Amino acid sequence: MAAAGSLEGVVRTEDGKPVGDAVVSVVAVSGSRPATRAGRAVVDQQDKEFVPHVRAVTVGTEVTFPNKDNIRHHVYSFSPAKKFELPLFKGEHSAAVKFDQPGVVVLGCNIHDWMLGYVVVLDTPYFDTTGADGHAQIKDIAAGAYEVHVWHPRLVNGAAPDTQRVTSVDGKKQRVEFVVRLNPDLRPPRPPSPTPGDRYR
Amino acid sequence: MRFRRFQTRVVVFVVGLLMFLSVATFIAVSVAVTRNARAQIRDELAVGGKVFERLITARTQQLADAARLLAGDFAFKTATASGDRATVLSVLDNHQARVAADVMQLVSLDGKILADTLHREGTGKAPPLTLPDDPGLRSGRRQDPSTIAMIDERPYQMVAVPVLAPLPIAWITVGFIIDDAVAKDLQMLTNLQVSFLGRRSDGGFAALASTLPAPMRETLLRRLSGASDRGDTTLSLQMGDGEYVTLVRSVGGKGNGGIIAVLQRSLDEALRPYQRLQLVMLTLTAAGLILSLAGAVVIARRVTKPVLTIVQSARRVERGDYEHSVVVDSSDEIGDLARTFNTMTKGLAERDRVRAELERVGRLKRFLSPQVAELIVSSGDEVMLASHRREITVVFCDLRGFTAFGEQAEPEEVMNFLHDYHEALGPLVFRYEGTVEQFTGDGVMVFFNDPIPFPDHAARAVRLAVAMREHVATLTERWRQYGHTLGFGVGIAMGFATLGKIGFEGRFDYAAIGSVCNLSARLCGEARDGQILVSEPVFAAVQSIAEVEEIKPVTLKGFAQPVRTFNILKVKDAG
Repeated sequence: MAAAGSLEGVVRTEDGKPVGDAVVSVVAVSGSRPATRAGRAVVDQQDKEFVPHVRAVTVGTEVTFPNKDNIRHHVYSFSPAKKFELPLFKGEHSAAVKFDQPGVVVLGCNIHDWMLGYVVVLDTPYFDTTGADGHAQIKDIAAGAYEVHVWHPRLVNGAAPDTQRVTSVDGKKQRVEFVVRLNPDLRPPRPPSPTPGDRYR
Repeated sequence: MRFRRFQTRVVVFVVGLLMFLSVATFIAVSVAVTRNARAQIRDELAVGGKVFERLITARTQQLADAARLLAGDFAFKTATASGDRATVLSVLDNHQARVAADVMQLVSLDGKILADTLHREGTGKAPPLTLPDDPGLRSGRRQDPSTIAMIDERPYQMVAVPVLAPLPIAWITVGFIIDDAVAKDLQMLTNLQVSFLGRRSDGGFAALASTLPAPMRETLLRRLSGASDRGDTTLSLQMGDGEYVTLVRSVGGKGNGGIIAVLQRSLDEALRPYQRLQLVMLTLTAAGLILSLAGAVVIARRVTKPVLTIVQSARRVERGDYEHSVVVDSSDEIGDLARTFNTMTKGLAERDRVRAELERVGRLKRFLSPQVAELIVSSGDEVMLASHRREITVVFCDLRGFTAFGEQAEPEEVMNFLHDYHEALGPLVFRYEGTVEQFTGDGVMVFFNDPIPFPDHAARAVRLAVAMREHVATLTERWRQYGHTLGFGVGIAMGFATLGKIGFEGRFDYAAIGSVCNLSARLCGEARDGQILVSEPVFAAVQSIAEVEEIKPVTLKGFAQPVRTFNILKVKDAG
């Protein structure tokens, strides 16, 4: 068994701007799937936004949705990968939702139309989400043949030929670059705050 | 046709002028008003068209708002996400009822109908309106897709909104049927006739909804059939009860299956207030004409009536009737004319009167002194010339030897002499205001006290005789130098005689008939040259003013008794 390697994914747009909130995952091409650890993850609600906007988890992960606002939220998803609903709740101790199927789960809040979040459920332990610099770091990848996938909420389907790439990982650090095209951000606008201080936060 | 009468001319002129002005005004106003009305109708139609579009937009917006509220409903989203068609249909029914829509459909993002409240079994068809692929619609910042679309050959105003969870998971379309009630609503707001027409596959149109009554719909369809898809046009259509200014707007689809809205305004209806105005104007014009006709007649009458009166008077004057004067009670030119006419008539009358008077005076002057003649004429009392009896003093004189003179002398000489003689005697007669009875040849007969009475008629007679004797003496002296011996004798008598005009009109004399005339003639005949023989009554009357000698009584022819006779020597003072 070869030494474990690491991979740096870099995601940018055609005009070179770094893309954040992109999920770079490394999936074994064949053979044994690396075991995933069913961990725990958190998607906060802060200032009526999901934080982080995109949360990648492995299959079986239980995600909690702590509400850090002083108002209730009503988190739901109608995505086939996970349909759930957390009716109006308050406080940081929400029930945990177990994401047991791979796929993209779109999060919404029933009372705040603009709130949009994603839980990307992956069937691999190797993944990371790019930061604002467009870089993702994936470590401790067992040697083998892998496909590297990139996903972004606004990714134009089929527009980026290199969203997948077969690569073999060995002891060295791999660097994979993705040039992607994104749809414009068309989230519904937030209504203007009633007062400049926004006392409902 | 010639208008000879002034009155007619005035009336024709005034009425004609007014009629011309009225008609000109009427035509000008009518033209302006009609043009204005047409322009106004076009404006109204344009405004109505904008209002219509705004209303449609507003309805669409309303629809979209309602649809968006429905689509935002969590239960709806949940039901939609369930994928169970019966549930989806049920929730569509429920939500359709909430907003009182007529159709509601759930459409997949790839444009297939998943559930339809009108066609509950059919699915998989394309929705009646075009949906964009662009998921950006979920932002709500763009106009929601909307149209007027045909479902089962009925027009529906359709709008589509995405179902957001929070990304679009489907579309829902909401539709409201457009029927006559909707057209009626639009009519109330736009004040236009509103029709929705759908183009049939054969190129003609079908009426989908309209405010027009059924027969007019047919007319509209006929008028528009064959019209190409010209988009938004304005045209004028002759329909049923008149002309309709028409605005055509394409509101949905293109070509076959396209839907147009036809907005119309009746020109007649819009012109109705103007027609009322025209009627009022006509009435006023007619009233004005009648009034002016009456006024013109009255004014013309006021002018012509006095003129006619004057004309009649002038005719009377023409016939010599000056007595009538025109009565015109006005201070204007006509009044002036009447007054001038009256003055002229008076002048004419006066002239005639004076002429007549002069004529009479002239006549009277044949036997009266001018002043006496004028006195009589001016007194107008010619009655005193009628036959009457009065006491008069008669002076008779003639020349001695005149007959011989007449035979010896040349006629011219005789005439010359007589001329001098008469010229000498005439003024004297007039001076003493005697009345000439006879003034021919050498014999002259003058009497006093008639027709003008003089208390001193005898004295006047004597004084005249003395004056004549003096003057004739001068004359005879002169003629004696030519060799003609002439003497002058006078006889004067006093007594009653009958006096009066004799002769015929235009040639009459004033005659005295009575023995006193004969007596004076006889006394004259007895008188020798230079003698003035008077009868006793004369002597009695003048003895205080005259020196008299009595001569022997004379026997006169025609008088039985010898007459006492006196010769006047001289008078004391010529008075």
